[in-house]
Amino acid sequence: MRPEKEGLSVLSGQINKQKKKPVLQRIKQNRIAYVFLLPTLLAMLFLHIFPIMQGIYMSFLELNQFTLSQYLLAPFVGLDNFYKVLIDVNSPIRIGLFEAVRNTVIYTLLVTVGTLGVGMVVALMLNRKFFGRSLVRTLFLFPWIIPTYVTGLLWGIMWLKEGGLINVMLVDWLHLLPFKPSWLTGANTIWAIIIPTIWRYWPLSMLMLLAGLQTIPEELYEAADIDGAGPWRKFWMITWPMLQPVWFILILFGLISNTYSFNIVIMMFGFGAGFPGEWGDLMMTNIFRNSFQLWNFGTGAAASVLLLIVMVAIVNVWFRLYKQAEEVR
Amino acid sequence: MPYYLRKRLTDLSINIVMLVFLFVTLMPIGWMLFSSVKNSTDIAIGRIGLSRNIEGHTEIHWENYVDLWKNVNFGLYLRNSVVICGTTVVIAMTLSTLAAYALSRFKFPGSDLFSNAILATQMIPALMYLIPLYIMFIKFTMLTGLPVKGTFWGLILIYSAFFTPFSIWILRGFFAAIPVELEEAAKIDGCNQFQVFWNVALPLAIPGIIATGIYLFLNAWDELMFAWVLTNADTMTIPVGIRLFVGNYQNRFDLMMAAATVATIPVCIIFFLLQRYIVQGLTAGAVKG
Repeated sequence: MRPEKEGLSVLSGQINKQKKKPVLQRIKQNRIAYVFLLPTLLAMLFLHIFPIMQGIYMSFLELNQFTLSQYLLAPFVGLDNFYKVLIDVNSPIRIGLFEAVRNTVIYTLLVTVGTLGVGMVVALMLNRKFFGRSLVRTLFLFPWIIPTYVTGLLWGIMWLKEGGLINVMLVDWLHLLPFKPSWLTGANTIWAIIIPTIWRYWPLSMLMLLAGLQTIPEELYEAADIDGAGPWRKFWMITWPMLQPVWFILILFGLISNTYSFNIVIMMFGFGAGFPGEWGDLMMTNIFRNSFQLWNFGTGAAASVLLLIVMVAIVNVWFRLYKQAEEVR
Repeated sequence: MPYYLRKRLTDLSINIVMLVFLFVTLMPIGWMLFSSVKNSTDIAIGRIGLSRNIEGHTEIHWENYVDLWKNVNFGLYLRNSVVICGTTVVIAMTLSTLAAYALSRFKFPGSDLFSNAILATQMIPALMYLIPLYIMFIKFTMLTGLPVKGTFWGLILIYSAFFTPFSIWILRGFFAAIPVELEEAAKIDGCNQFQVFWNVALPLAIPGIIATGIYLFLNAWDELMFAWVLTNADTMTIPVGIRLFVGNYQNRFDLMMAAATVATIPVCIIFFLLQRYIVQGLTAGAVKG
């Protein structure tokens, strides 16, 4: 490369110059990066890629307690497992599958909205100057430290019909309801799993949103004050757009982690072994039961593959929507 | 009404709402602690307040904790959880620190692919790993005679691999926040690339590494599905032990609440000792990421 040319291309930037180098040279130059990545690469190859490939392959196999020992040589049945999950009404895995899907959708949407809503309100309340602010913030984080299996167990007892704290509060103390409703059976069950999940996860949203709020420069609000904007207008014109990146991440992780929620539901019903009922069952508990209690690994794998496909689609749509929203801004 | 008075009134009412909400939020935890020292019947019939004996005096049933320790092998579960989660944190943090540094400092062929792969792993349902791994472990033992299912190492390996991508993702933000100039200065002083990492970047990233490590520990402590399937009676972790115990003592609510309390205490201690790191660390990583 001629030196005078290089001097001219300063403005066009370092990146451009790097891209012109051949791949091999760039690999050589960054040798140390590959050394640093090697352990992780190996671990991911053996414990991520390898099992996932097998999982996808297993979804085409007749894999149950009888063929378990044949491993990957179990009888190949093609798309039969997918047929059983999606179409065949009489297959055992179909029992309760529709309810599980419906519950998972309701649960994921409401929990994501709930955690973000409560988190936002509390973050705004904490984003003021007052005495004891950091203590209050720490105390608000408490539910988030409780392990999820303890959350399930604890709320399972709190929802009890006669002696549970919820019914004692609602009926005996506040007289809001004339009778003690049963929370752990019937359609109420869905609330019995949504509310504890929101209770457990909102502090994390609050923490992230609070951190986001603190990065907004004070001058923006001062300028808005001079222009005579009220609190609502300030929220919608400054706070809301500035927080969008945080919302994006929180909704993304909320959608993923709530769809794959397991611990709270499994610990709340039948104390860890029973069927959560048709309004309490989620996808993960459903597939888990099919795989590890009914020993239908093939259909379990097929259902997981379908779940993964749906998840990839949702995440892609969410990314697209966010990109579009950013361009509009 | 003058402006400052109105502002003070609004502030006061927001504070009141906040404190009421704080009380409601903490109530379940208080109830858990309270119930763990009551007798089972009082919990079942919903009598709030401490249990009373025949003469009407309140009594605190500390013996619930003794019963718990006698009925359940809680010491064993605790030890297993500490060993498994502790080793997992060490391995996963070593892997992810190296990988995160490489990803934040070098732009090399394949770095984008790797970053995307890390995020993509978060979308995969845990059952998709669990089903093949479970069958793999059984088959491996059948072929070689070496036990894998039910050993510490089986679970530690899986946990390490499972939690590494997310830690890389958080840690990358921390390394990206360290000014490159510091590392360049060290290079001019004659450090090689590994020395730059070890002597300059690593010490500066310690708060982030601690925060990520704690977060990972809390997550591993909370993991039930893998542990349920892949441990046996000797290697059971706390969530599996509690699940089993709760299934066997279905109406001993007092013991259940005692077990819940004991399972929560270790994470609470860790959190409150190191909460400064967690709060700063997690939010810094997330807002930048």
